[in-house]
Amino acid sequence: MKEKVLTEHFGLENLYKIDVYQKQGGYRATEKALKKMKPEEILDEVKKANLRGRGGAGFPAGVKWSFVPDTDKPKYLCVNADEGEPGTFKDRYIMSHNPHMLLEGIIITSFCVGIHVAFIYIRGEYEAIALRLEQAISEAYAKGFLGKNILESGFDLDVFVHRGAGAYICGEETALLESLEGKRGNPRLKPPFPASVGLWQCPTVINNVETISNISHIILNGAEWFVKKGLPKDGGTRIFSVSGMVKNPGIYELPLGTSLKDIIFKHAGGMKGGKKLKAVIPGGMSAPILTADEINIKMDFDSLVEANSMLGSAAIIVIDDKTSILDVLKVVTKFYSHESCGQCTPCRIGNSWINKIVKRIADGKGKKEDIDSILRLASNIEGNTLCPLGDAAAMPILSITKKFRKELESHL
Amino acid sequence: MIKIFMDEEPVEVEEGTTVLKAAERAGIHIPHLCYHPAFPPEGSCRMCLVEIEGFPKLELACSTVVKEDMKISTKSARVVEARKAVLEFLLAEHPLDCPICDKAGDCKLQDYYDEYGLFESQFKEAKEKREKKLKIGKTLILDQERCILCTRCVRFLKEVTKTQELGVFHRGVHSSVNIYDGAAVVNNYTGNLAEICPVGAITDEDFRFKIRSWFLEEGESICPLCSRGCNILIEYHPGFPRFNVPKRVYRIKARENPEVNGFWLCDRGRYGYSYLDEGRADQIILNKIEGENVLTWENISEYLGKKIKSLSSAKKASGIALILHTWLSNEELFLLHEIFKKDLQVEKIFFADLPQGEGDEYLLTSEPSPNRRGAREIGFDIKTVDLDAMADGTDFLLAFGPFLSGLFSLKDLKDALSKIKRKVLFSSYSDEMNSLFDIVIPVALIAEKEGSLTNVDGIVQGFQPALEPPGESLPEWKVLADLGKELEMDARFYSEFPSPEKILTEMGKKIPFFKKKND
Repeated sequence: MKEKVLTEHFGLENLYKIDVYQKQGGYRATEKALKKMKPEEILDEVKKANLRGRGGAGFPAGVKWSFVPDTDKPKYLCVNADEGEPGTFKDRYIMSHNPHMLLEGIIITSFCVGIHVAFIYIRGEYEAIALRLEQAISEAYAKGFLGKNILESGFDLDVFVHRGAGAYICGEETALLESLEGKRGNPRLKPPFPASVGLWQCPTVINNVETISNISHIILNGAEWFVKKGLPKDGGTRIFSVSGMVKNPGIYELPLGTSLKDIIFKHAGGMKGGKKLKAVIPGGMSAPILTADEINIKMDFDSLVEANSMLGSAAIIVIDDKTSILDVLKVVTKFYSHESCGQCTPCRIGNSWINKIVKRIADGKGKKEDIDSILRLASNIEGNTLCPLGDAAAMPILSITKKFRKELESHL
Repeated sequence: MIKIFMDEEPVEVEEGTTVLKAAERAGIHIPHLCYHPAFPPEGSCRMCLVEIEGFPKLELACSTVVKEDMKISTKSARVVEARKAVLEFLLAEHPLDCPICDKAGDCKLQDYYDEYGLFESQFKEAKEKREKKLKIGKTLILDQERCILCTRCVRFLKEVTKTQELGVFHRGVHSSVNIYDGAAVVNNYTGNLAEICPVGAITDEDFRFKIRSWFLEEGESICPLCSRGCNILIEYHPGFPRFNVPKRVYRIKARENPEVNGFWLCDRGRYGYSYLDEGRADQIILNKIEGENVLTWENISEYLGKKIKSLSSAKKASGIALILHTWLSNEELFLLHEIFKKDLQVEKIFFADLPQGEGDEYLLTSEPSPNRRGAREIGFDIKTVDLDAMADGTDFLLAFGPFLSGLFSLKDLKDALSKIKRKVLFSSYSDEMNSLFDIVIPVALIAEKEGSLTNVDGIVQGFQPALEPPGESLPEWKVLADLGKELEMDARFYSEFPSPEKILTEMGKKIPFFKKKND
């Protein structure tokens, strides 16, 4: 059985071109779905596959789709390609190497939910990738996989690429919708959730690039096959973005449940320049940090929650013992202070306040009470903000400060 | 109706209502800054967090809809801690310049700090520097440092005026409210921004630095500056014991009335309050009365009654002329109609009002008088004064209001009035034209008396005095009720009028239109 699902053909030259993609069996899933399957059957298969969201929250995709109400209003699909979580760079590989795999997922998802307009909201910095997507979309139109009456199934679908303007917050699904509507990218108050009230007040499905890219494989190979690729409650593989002080940083597609230790020391080649491991951020910067003693852990949603961290976007940031934890904290707090949209009070002022304290400590003006202040302020952000950014900031700040308190205190 | 538990007390509330509204109905105030009942919940200030059984996180009171048997704690330790935390964040980047802030005294941030905070500041960093006195509108000053980004102002301009002059610029702690490229807030409703700002971020130059808000008292009234009849609060200074304050009224605020003006007031109604204090007449003036006893309010109706009674009945109809206006209340216009039009059958009844103005498509109407609809419903045919027709064959003129001098030159008025033997004016203002009358009787303004007005949509709204009438001024309805009695027209009818409320009840019996209010 082949190991990889999403990245299998990434080595192939010109895979991004539709002819090459089709030679590898591309668009067979689309044909199968549109010609031989009913939308309910597709939904059933995706639900059975236990495909959980790859963006960070891990919400089951099939369940999300089933929340879309039956209505006369238009429905929309928004593919979240805003990939802004620090340390994460998997979606860019999928989109630049295999854009048609994503498009197939979009077509099948739209067919399943009854959507006729889909958007790919891509971060502004991915300009070249946006162009590649546009190219792939026009190829798909030319071959009749997009547009009116796709493969004579009577199903219509248009796909648009929308480039963001560089705000982290626009990766939050409701801020993404605001931005797509042409407004300032501020998160919306939930409920209502986008599945019922989304883009232009219409039902909207929002899924991550990697999530949608799995769909064609589930359709071709079946849910059972997909579940076997991962874990029973957590089907499929995961693309881990490994960065930091390892010999071979990059993306690694591995089954869910692979051990973190193996990813760092086997797949990524171990520590760079013989350095010692100090800490790992296992799921993008928002995930609580793990110390070197805590890396004997399976990389799946539930195992990481048990370890008080999270799989998030599966971005693994490896930190060596020569890196000052104060520098890590400075980067983390600067990022969230900079990227807070400013809408709600705890996130807007809390993150800036914490960053000001950390900067002062780094300037050698730290005070005894500063560490407790950081912990108190971060706890006051956690759980009290309008959108998940508040928690995303508070979790790493709290875990870094608690786990490396001694080292931080040495700077006071 | 469903049952919920608010701080362990069972409360019956309407289905679909929010926790915040349900709490208010149960007499519990949940602190909030960004929420305003005119707009959908925003959920950004995080002050209204409450604890709901079964929910892991604290939830927003402003947006959470109640469910049967929901158990809500509005004062638990966790809730109080969260409120304190939000206040600590807000105050960290707040300039704390209350001593020089115009909002001090009616600032929500101050109130909540007093209630939940009273902690020492732990903020040891440099505060963000921002613009402190940006002029963003004709009278609006924006202090970005005081702003807590509740965005009530932005949402008001987006949802009410739809002019969208304000936006939020930049991100995170640098977020600030501002106008776009120097284009000021220009619409008929700018003053509402200072009113809905919960802190001292938007202040009003019309009020700024003139008085401390805690010296002011407020009274309810109705705005008389157009025919909408917006409900208002008049904020006035009751006076210091040792020195005079230059005026009584310092500020007009909107008073909520969903049927008429919602929560809002136009700038004309808000800023045009100088009429309440400037140029007021406060003494009875006797210009050319020889051999008459000194007139007081007690005997003025007796004097007028005698004058009228001395005329023959034919002379009563053609020798009397009346000039009215529509700042008079329904009750006053009704008495005038009963006495002069119905009983004395006076033919020469004219109106002197402010000329038509320009309205907008929202609250401000083009009729700058508050009660033209009322006058029409009572049965008056509203004819503008024709000086020649008015003076021709007239022995006795009863004129009401100050508006004649705006319609005619002093010379024309003098020419016309010189033909009339006895001329009596009821006016709230000192004016050059007052010297043309024999007797000038100072009267109260709408803000100073009791009565009702009929607005442009036919809504009859009662009002009570918000201010004391100056000097010898009294309301017209009193002298008219006495005059009716004096003329022995229907002794029982007129002597039973101790109050405008009774007059309105009587009106309802005679004119079906006015019955509605009493049903």
